Amino acid sequence: MVELLLILISAVFVNNFVLARFLGICPFLGVSKKVETALGMGMAVIFVMTVAAVVTWFIQYLVLIPFGIEYLQTIAFILVIASLVQLVEMVIQKTSPVLYQSLGIFLPLITTNCAVLGVAVLNIQKSYSFIESVVFAMGAGLGFTLAMVLFAGLRERIDLCPVPKCFRGTAVALVTAGLLSLAFMGFAGLVKG
Amino acid sequence: MLAAVLSIGGIGLVAAATLGLAAKKFAVEVDPRELAILEVLPGVNCGACGLPGCSGYAKGVAEGTIAPNLCTPGGSETVEAIADILGIEAITIEPQVAIVACQGDNRKATNKYRYLGLQDCNAAQKLADGPKTCPGGCLGLGSCERACPFGAIEMTAENLAVINREKCTGCEKCVAVCPRQVIKMVPLKATVHVLCNSHDKGALIRKYCQIGCIGCHICKKTVPEAYVVENFLAFADYEHIENAAAAIEKCPTKCIRDFSTGYPEGSSFPPATVPVKHPAA
Amino acid sequence: MKLKSFSGGLHPPDSKEYSAHKPIERCPLPEELIIPAAQHIGAPADICVAVGDQVKKGQVIANANGFVSVPIHASTSGEVIAVEPRLHPMGRELPAVVIKPDGLDQWHESLRQNDPEQLDVDSLKNLIRDAGIVGMGGATFPTHVKLSPPEEKTIDTLILNGVECEPFLTADHRLMLEESERIIDGINILRKVLGIDQAIIGIEVNKPDAIEKLTRDCAAHNIQVQPLKVRYPQGAEKQLINACTGRQVPSGGLPMDCGVVVQNVGTAAAISDAVRLGRPLVERIATITGPGIVEPKNLRITIGTPLQYLVDQCGGLNGEPAKIIMGGPMMGQTQLSLDVPAIRGTSGVLVFREEDLPKMPAGPCIRCGRCIGVCPIHLQPTTIAAYARLEMIDAAENYNALDCIECGCCTYICPATLPLVQSIRHAKGGIMAKRRKI
Repeated sequence: MVELLLILISAVFVNNFVLARFLGICPFLGVSKKVETALGMGMAVIFVMTVAAVVTWFIQYLVLIPFGIEYLQTIAFILVIASLVQLVEMVIQKTSPVLYQSLGIFLPLITTNCAVLGVAVLNIQKSYSFIESVVFAMGAGLGFTLAMVLFAGLRERIDLCPVPKCFRGTAVALVTAGLLSLAFMGFAGLVKG
Repeated sequence: MLAAVLSIGGIGLVAAATLGLAAKKFAVEVDPRELAILEVLPGVNCGACGLPGCSGYAKGVAEGTIAPNLCTPGGSETVEAIADILGIEAITIEPQVAIVACQGDNRKATNKYRYLGLQDCNAAQKLADGPKTCPGGCLGLGSCERACPFGAIEMTAENLAVINREKCTGCEKCVAVCPRQVIKMVPLKATVHVLCNSHDKGALIRKYCQIGCIGCHICKKTVPEAYVVENFLAFADYEHIENAAAAIEKCPTKCIRDFSTGYPEGSSFPPATVPVKHPAA
Repeated sequence: MKLKSFSGGLHPPDSKEYSAHKPIERCPLPEELIIPAAQHIGAPADICVAVGDQVKKGQVIANANGFVSVPIHASTSGEVIAVEPRLHPMGRELPAVVIKPDGLDQWHESLRQNDPEQLDVDSLKNLIRDAGIVGMGGATFPTHVKLSPPEEKTIDTLILNGVECEPFLTADHRLMLEESERIIDGINILRKVLGIDQAIIGIEVNKPDAIEKLTRDCAAHNIQVQPLKVRYPQGAEKQLINACTGRQVPSGGLPMDCGVVVQNVGTAAAISDAVRLGRPLVERIATITGPGIVEPKNLRITIGTPLQYLVDQCGGLNGEPAKIIMGGPMMGQTQLSLDVPAIRGTSGVLVFREEDLPKMPAGPCIRCGRCIGVCPIHLQPTTIAAYARLEMIDAAENYNALDCIECGCCTYICPATLPLVQSIRHAKGGIMAKRRKI
């Protein structure tokens, strides 16, 4: 139990996917103009990461290892994740238009989100058990959401400030992201792992 | 080798089959015409059509609940493309651009008080109807510049708004935001305009502006068909604009301007060409 | 003893030494009186005289237009020489009646004296409305509306505003010193109309002579005089209620929501005249002051007197005027020219020269938070103003921009001299426009 909690905290804070591992920078910069959309994106990522972790874990241990083709891990995972996200999008669009309205627009963006692939690969690298994999994926998703929401809040504040012309837009956003990343370095050493 | 090919191929097949099935099972009806219309729209979500964004307009047009010729930024080409998609005859629209009907910048027009507040025309207008003595002149605090989604408006160093005819798409956002209604929509093909928005009598205008229309009728006497004078203010009659330029030299206050020879003083825009087709289309 | 006050606010230099010691003088009648139809909050009155009419002092020249409106009266006897738009203190030309005084200053014959003891509540209210009484502190809200709370609201306290927290102004101060009997009579009438006993007069301690005088005079009338710490904007209704009673008016609410009615001392005096003498509101006391005035004075002015004439009565201008303010320096209205008339809400006329004005241009917000510290409503002026500049009206609304009372503390304290109040007012305008649309 303690082990699982440590995995979770480590994934959320210490080894935050965006701010410590620098994975998933694209949606981090792209969908962080408003807190609301950032939160929606974060929720979608939590969901997809968890499902992807489950599926890729099975692929790894039921297909790749028995056939001795672990070297095809990356391509297999990409294939599975991409089709999975597409499937999820279709199902949501049909079953819950409300959820699709708030979440659906982010789903195609996640298809190629390297953070999702990162979770799947790290699960295998760290030889996590099934439960551990799921917890790690959820923690990674939570960490991503946390970073997104914090960053979106900062950007909303930056909108109010007289930023010098040459720094407006993405430039000042990247500087802010760097500072936020520095702040997250403060968590280093909190949990070993 | 064989195992590798088979397993990845197998995963691919399973995924493809699942997606294929799902696409059938969970298919959501979307009018293909709606998507096609969305493709041809400019996609700036300016709201000129009266709907919140391009997708809303596409939906409305596809459903037939709204007229297909309301996209001013897209111009006639967009209207034709939409008409093609819908299989109807195009109702062409005369391409329009916005002009600031004023040349009274800080050097040429006087202020009735010194304004030190918020740099926003609507805020300034609330204080005794704005600092400019002229009741219709451009306040020059840049509300239209900030409202323009196309970056077509610039403020000169002497605080006058100037609209670039090449960049303007006629979305009328600036018209909506201007508290003094000094921005007018005019046909794109016309380059000669009377740049004044004050109906005050000539003697009064001369007191506060060097470049305002004093309603002297000289332009009308020179080119009778091209000008109308109403209530001490001249207007170009855009139906008969061919010879309008002849009056420019005669105008005593030089408030008539031909944009093909240059924009108002202080503007960085090069003289306007007369475009054959609409720029945004 | 710790003096009562409210939280927030500040204490700008009160500059009352220009005129605090000057007794009230009557200002003579000018060549012509310009009486605008819009002198109160609410619908402007309908002008009912024409050019050439002979009018007498106190005669109705414009009828009230709806419930939240009051009639306008001729301020002296004479001839109507014009009914036309004239420059109004609001900064634009608005309909006005121009009267050439005949010098006789005769009261209209229909006006008669009353004994408030003999009248019932409704006829008292009618007298107050027909006399055109409005809030004399400067807001000019029709008084009879404030005195008619809806059935479900119980009023238990009347607070008299003798705070005069705006710097420079001393009109209420002199009124309390010299004419306390009119104020007390007005309070008695107000208490009868509201059917309550408790009345508090709030006065800041920078007017010790007024506190002493009123404490002495009120002793026999069961009116409490409450000395208050000097703090701007203590004269704002909600702050005064909080300072005197500790009650909080809810956001978006009115003083009646916490059982209080607030009236200015000047209003109380005007009510006394209206009821006892039958005299409508045709004159008021105003402070003509500021470094741009040769000899600052407290004048009893006739409504409609052009500011130029008032300034002339005070020895004229002391140098070139750069800023003319009607009302106090914090919330008053800057004037375009001295040709505008003094109206019912004119508590003062301030004239500043170029050298008296601050020079600093507006800079960027340095996020010092002083505006937040001084805001008596505990808003975040800098944030609301920033949203207003960016036209982010919804965000400004979420920060409760509508609760702003526009007291000007934030603009006063801002080291970057940002136009915060104006920005917030801009946001409020945007919010109201949006609500009208929905």
